[in-house]
Amino acid sequence: MTRIKRGYIARKRRTKIRLFTSSFRGAHSRLTRTISQQKIKALVSANRDRDRKKRGFRGLWIHRINAIIGKNKKKQYNRYSNLLYNMYKGQWLLNHKIVAQMGILKGNCLLMIANEIIT
Amino acid sequence: MALVCGSASVTFPSSSFPRHSHRNTSSSLVGLQFPFHKLVSLSLSPSSSSSNTNARILRIHSQQQDSSLVPPEQDPRFLCVEPEPRFKGPDIWNKTWYPKAADHVNTEKTWYVVDATDKVLGRLASTIAIHIRGKNLETYTPSVDMGAFVIVVNAEKVAVSGRKRTQKLYRRHSGRPGGMKVETFAQLQNRIPERIIEHAVRGMLPKGRLGRRLFTHLKVYEGPDHPHAAQKPIELPIQDKRIYLQR
Repeated sequence: MTRIKRGYIARKRRTKIRLFTSSFRGAHSRLTRTISQQKIKALVSANRDRDRKKRGFRGLWIHRINAIIGKNKKKQYNRYSNLLYNMYKGQWLLNHKIVAQMGILKGNCLLMIANEIIT
Repeated sequence: MALVCGSASVTFPSSSFPRHSHRNTSSSLVGLQFPFHKLVSLSLSPSSSSSNTNARILRIHSQQQDSSLVPPEQDPRFLCVEPEPRFKGPDIWNKTWYPKAADHVNTEKTWYVVDATDKVLGRLASTIAIHIRGKNLETYTPSVDMGAFVIVVNAEKVAVSGRKRTQKLYRRHSGRPGGMKVETFAQLQNRIPERIIEHAVRGMLPKGRLGRRLFTHLKVYEGPDHPHAAQKPIELPIQDKRIYLQR
């Protein structure tokens, strides 16, 4: 067979990967083999964390709701769990994000709602 | 009951706040901005007759509450701002709130002072750590230092239950072989009493760059005096009922 050099095919492929990894730290943006590995790891993390992001934010909202409900209302049932239970009972369709945002931006409104629905 | 929400939400262009939470039986809905105090008069029960009376009772009750302070039209919380800021500036409702630099300036944080006399060590440390980290605030953000400063006085009088005074060990290692140093609670309290509370609180704060910075917001002092009178510290609110040593 005729001799065929590979030429710059591999290099073309690797420069694209190198561009992706260009802001990584240390050897992870400089060494060829490490660059390929780090790109794979980065994409894996991104994929997995897109789902974790949803979990993470939900936890943050729950925590913020609990904080504001527990802070200002000194009644007996001043917890997130009671608020949610009464919201379901009263068929309020607010999602956690909006309730948490309300707690920060318009805290008094949320407390008024809570006062009404937590018996 | 979801039908009530769904049908009426068509009239409102994507303002999330009224869409989800309005459940009026009366159709006193004024465009986008509706005065929130009317929202409070919900109809919680399915039957309409009792709900009307309930709604009326609740509405009267809420208006009485409002009018005692400020008339609803002038209450700054419920002012209808035209046009609603949400549509002109950044989306403050759909993006989870994240603090700007001005929201966590060190000079505007609260300072708390707590007297450690006869308080159980761990419970006290837990309360302190919660306040330093900011977990009691609705603006809590895990990546930002939103907490308060805490001053602990009378650190040498902190209490522990059981036989911990003689049996609880504090260990440290110098790094060299055979370099483990062990002290009991009582010995450390005689030597450096502040270290006991610092050790306890540091174990309850996050470990990392932010955690180390949070730890610097804890100020522990051995006697009843502290040099932070200029910060006007207030009494730390303690919710834990078992924080006082049961004798």
